[in-house]
Amino acid sequence: MQPQFSRAEVAKVPEGALVHEDSTAKWFLVSSVTYFFIVGIIALIIAAKFVWPDLMGTMSWLSYGRLRPLHVNGMLFGWLLAADMGLAFYIIPRLCGVPLWSEKLGLATAILWNIIILGAVVTLLAGLNQGWEYAELPWYLDILVVVAWIMFGVNIFLTVAQRKHQAMYVTIWYTMGCILWTAFVYLTGNFATLFTTGTNQANLNWMYVHNAVGLIFTPIGLAIAYYFIPRSSNTPLHSHKLSMVGFWSLAFVYVWTGAHHMLHGPISQWLQTIAIAFSLMLLIPVWAVVYNLFATMKGQWHQLRESVPLKFLMSGVVFYLLTCFQGPMHSLRTVNAIVSKTDWIPGHAHMAVLGCFSFFAIAGTYFVVPKIWGRVLHSESLANWSYWMLMIGGLGFYTTLWLGGFWQGWQWNNWSIPFIDTVIALRPIWLVRFFSGVMMFIGIVMFAYNILATVTGANEEAAA
Amino acid sequence: MAQTDYTYPSVYFAYLFFALMFFLAVYFFLRSRRDGYWGENGEEAKFQMFDDDETHRRAP
Repeated sequence: MQPQFSRAEVAKVPEGALVHEDSTAKWFLVSSVTYFFIVGIIALIIAAKFVWPDLMGTMSWLSYGRLRPLHVNGMLFGWLLAADMGLAFYIIPRLCGVPLWSEKLGLATAILWNIIILGAVVTLLAGLNQGWEYAELPWYLDILVVVAWIMFGVNIFLTVAQRKHQAMYVTIWYTMGCILWTAFVYLTGNFATLFTTGTNQANLNWMYVHNAVGLIFTPIGLAIAYYFIPRSSNTPLHSHKLSMVGFWSLAFVYVWTGAHHMLHGPISQWLQTIAIAFSLMLLIPVWAVVYNLFATMKGQWHQLRESVPLKFLMSGVVFYLLTCFQGPMHSLRTVNAIVSKTDWIPGHAHMAVLGCFSFFAIAGTYFVVPKIWGRVLHSESLANWSYWMLMIGGLGFYTTLWLGGFWQGWQWNNWSIPFIDTVIALRPIWLVRFFSGVMMFIGIVMFAYNILATVTGANEEAAA
Repeated sequence: MAQTDYTYPSVYFAYLFFALMFFLAVYFFLRSRRDGYWGENGEEAKFQMFDDDETHRRAP
């Protein structure tokens, strides 16, 4: 764990020195960690419903069809994107050497974001759902998301515009890329789809879904990794030029891959082939990122023993490599014929969003919270335990779903097997998935408690 | 039906967005070359993060 500054040390601010208020970062981080815990409960319930379908009876607002979109949107926008935005509000002013352009605008963004998430809870549980993957929120909440994103973008871009250094570190590139790409991707996925029909609508939706991961969570996640790995290890990045290769190859390649979700479906073959070709080209930015971050740690691996943020960060890089190898491979027509629509896909998606990007966000939160509150972390031991619970539970979850997904795909490809038999056969897989989920949830509880206890100063109260 | 089907305008709208994104990427990529990110001093940016002032923070 990084050395922390005492309250007395942080109080010594030299005359005329730059002061980071960090109030926006604090709001985003506290609310995102709280949502991580709450939505984790929803995740456990829907994992249990796979094994015990009658759980919670027939109450419509506790049905799988309503809880599942709440889980997806809550984790993506309530936890992960909110945590990423909070970390961006911490990182960007520091990399630019100037205060955040407007803390007031940042606080307004945080309040609006919380209104959106609470609105999502109410509307999704009430069954008000657009019926599109990752685009379930009703249109009026979509408009609020656009407004909040513009507020976030204006604050970050105007902070960057008044930066002290002319050259921008790769984290700034990825953050700005994320802001611009999200504007395009979110508008297309949530508004253009409303006015389309049939196959074109499905194609637009999958383009949005894949780019939500590739052009929203990937760039902001990599921005965080590129900042916190050198910062936590106190080691400069291996190569800034290589990081630029990764950024630009991502910018040119990722946007065309969405149609690989519709392989063997009713879209033209040329569009499927383009999606496959660009999916394979993704290996270029992925390798540029992974090699760069691993080379940064050369000679520094011993630091992982002591540093929980580094444990999360480097495990996240390994999961990034694995998930980004899986993606191109199951974009191939032959592999896709087996794994498409099976449990393999949630296994892959969870490794990307939880194993990789959430690990980056957890690492950043563990690093940042003690610094901006000027307190030591509540418990190093608990932080270490949270890592191992999330790691072991996650590995059980991913591998179970990959194996189960392949098995499920083989059964579906055999038309002599009745569909209901393939559902019954998967029950042991879902049981392991549930218990792996319990381990992950315990890890989330440990993380959330540790962070909130640090924020409230539980250690200091006990000492007093 | 034809009067209420906005499929093609919406698809063209999406393609227009992504074409715009592509050309913006080309523009900023060329600009990054002009600004020296690929030149001799291209590695300078990575040292800036160690230049920030961690201790210059207001007490909670």
